[in-house]
Amino acid sequence: MIIEPRLVITMAVICLVGIGIYGLLITRNLIKVIVALQILVKGAILALVLAAELQGQIQLGQSMALTLIVADTIVAVVGLALGLQVRRRVGSLDLRDLSKLKG
Amino acid sequence: MPALLTLCTILVPWLGAVAIWMLGDKRQKTVGPVAVTFSVLAALAALCLYPFATAGVVVSIPMGDAFGSLSFRPDGLAALLTVIATVIGSLAVIFSLDYMKGEHQLPRYYSFILLFIGAMAGLVLSSSLLYLFFFWEITALSSYALISFNNDDPKAVRGGIKALIMTQVGGAGLLAGALALFSATGSFEIDQVLANPVAIPAGLLAFAAFGFLVAAAAKSAQFPFQTWLPDAMEAPTPISALIHAATMVNAGVYLLARFYPAFAEVPGWKTAVIAVGVITAFSAALMAIVAGDIKRVLAYSTVSQLGYMVYAIGLGAVEAAQFHLLSHAIFKALLFLSAGAVIHSVGTRDIFRMGGLGKRMPFTRLAFVIGSLALAGIPVLNGFWSKELILEAGMETGPAWGYILMLAGAGLTALYTLRVTWLVFYGKPREDLHVHPAGKAMKTALLPLVIGSIFSWLLVAFVTRVSANTMPYHHMEAMDITTLVQEVIMNPGTLIALAVILAGAGTWLVSQRVRFFEKSLGWAVHSIQASFGMESINDAITRLAGFAGEKLRITQTGLISWNLLYVVIALILACIYLAVGA
Repeated sequence: MIIEPRLVITMAVICLVGIGIYGLLITRNLIKVIVALQILVKGAILALVLAAELQGQIQLGQSMALTLIVADTIVAVVGLALGLQVRRRVGSLDLRDLSKLKG
Repeated sequence: MPALLTLCTILVPWLGAVAIWMLGDKRQKTVGPVAVTFSVLAALAALCLYPFATAGVVVSIPMGDAFGSLSFRPDGLAALLTVIATVIGSLAVIFSLDYMKGEHQLPRYYSFILLFIGAMAGLVLSSSLLYLFFFWEITALSSYALISFNNDDPKAVRGGIKALIMTQVGGAGLLAGALALFSATGSFEIDQVLANPVAIPAGLLAFAAFGFLVAAAAKSAQFPFQTWLPDAMEAPTPISALIHAATMVNAGVYLLARFYPAFAEVPGWKTAVIAVGVITAFSAALMAIVAGDIKRVLAYSTVSQLGYMVYAIGLGAVEAAQFHLLSHAIFKALLFLSAGAVIHSVGTRDIFRMGGLGKRMPFTRLAFVIGSLALAGIPVLNGFWSKELILEAGMETGPAWGYILMLAGAGLTALYTLRVTWLVFYGKPREDLHVHPAGKAMKTALLPLVIGSIFSWLLVAFVTRVSANTMPYHHMEAMDITTLVQEVIMNPGTLIALAVILAGAGTWLVSQRVRFFEKSLGWAVHSIQASFGMESINDAITRLAGFAGEKLRITQTGLISWNLLYVVIALILACIYLAVGA
């Protein structure tokens, strides 16, 4: 049986996005939320490449994926920096404690 | 030439507003004269524009395909209302020089007045429903900002927000009606609707007609929205005179008058308009009898007189409504401004604390008495002629119950005007109040209005001729002075009306005790003072909104996990929809 590469990538996308969403839903730790978000976005990038390949425009997909990787890194860095500040100011990384803006 | 003048009436006040805003808080002394300059220039432009009134569009600025073009059409009705807005606007600004002397944050005050004057001119001149709506909302905004001008006073802030919310209901009705007409005709041009209302599907036309009726009722403080206007009396008095008596509240009447040719055939619409006018005019007159605040009495009487105009439009007597609108704008601005002179002098608005002020403020008394006589409909002041025309139209074409209630309303009008005049200016002083006569700027503003209240009805030939020539869809008739005099004097309705008016006035003379009505009417007074229960309905609606907000608050957890769950659920639903739909 020959394993189709596209099938492998599709499964990978589903797994990455599923793990990411599951992680976002269950974690209450800010650092873990950022990790889960990273996994989710990696799945999305992979899906983008897959979609471009299916459309026959792989160069477009790859260049967009590269742009996304850069943007995503910035998200991770800023997110971690914010997490650090939250830890210093609030004294905890638990999302339930971050309810000062709740009306 | 008309194009330039049309743009001037809108842009000059707005330029003034920007200029005053730029001058800022540091040069408080200069803002008043600057405001007077700009508003007088706008008034001159409007007066020059009036003889050039035309049925055609004079300025058209393309704004892209989706919105149509921003175009202005100064026809008889629009040009008349522009003149009223800018002339009374400039008089109110002149009056403010004395009235607002020494107040803080004057630039905010003057720039909002000028913004309002320009927006009001734009509202009536605009020939496109969409831009009419924009100007409509700008007037609502400046009305709100000026009611709440004393933003330290919680009552003023409450009154402002109440006015804003209730007129927004009207704005929603206007927008809904405009969109219905747009879906039928594919354009926002008003003339396209008026030219061929038969082409619009009956359902859509009826929807628009009743939407516009809601809009007009909310803007003109008609039943069931009449409660915002008395609470708007927390505004500085020149604002009450300009926005809440002479101009903005006429916008609803203007809307009905403008669209009358299109909506007249909608089943039930005319009856609904008549009913709104009659109920408002009569109930507001009752409320004015028991009010104890000089500005609230005038506010209720404004509501009542606007009811007369709405009634006249429901009867199809658009020219009578237009004529009464002109008379009312003049004498009510006069009444409000002279009440402002009194309030500024004695520092209270409670008529039970005043009394015998006439001897110490003779000019203000003269102005107020002339305004009251015009409001009561005493010959030969301007209010007499226009009110008689409306009542005659009611006798000839309207339903009998409407005519009888309106006639009774005219009697009540005479009663409450005499009551308030007497309590303020005559009799013995009930309290030792510090009184000083009106200042120079106040007198300058009052004098043209006094003259206008006595003589403005002589303009009827000119005004109706301009309207008849420039409003092709309304089929108005030009009426010269002799016809007017003959028609009013020869009509038996005039005698009946005069008898009722005199009876109303006589009621006061017989029973001129200070709190006579409050005591003799007993329990009825409470329900009248509570606007016949309309206030409690308003309160119930606000409470319901607050309650719903409290209950819906639990959906806002502020936790990212929950919010993400909603996103995921929505995503799954979308996927299912796509899968099933495909």
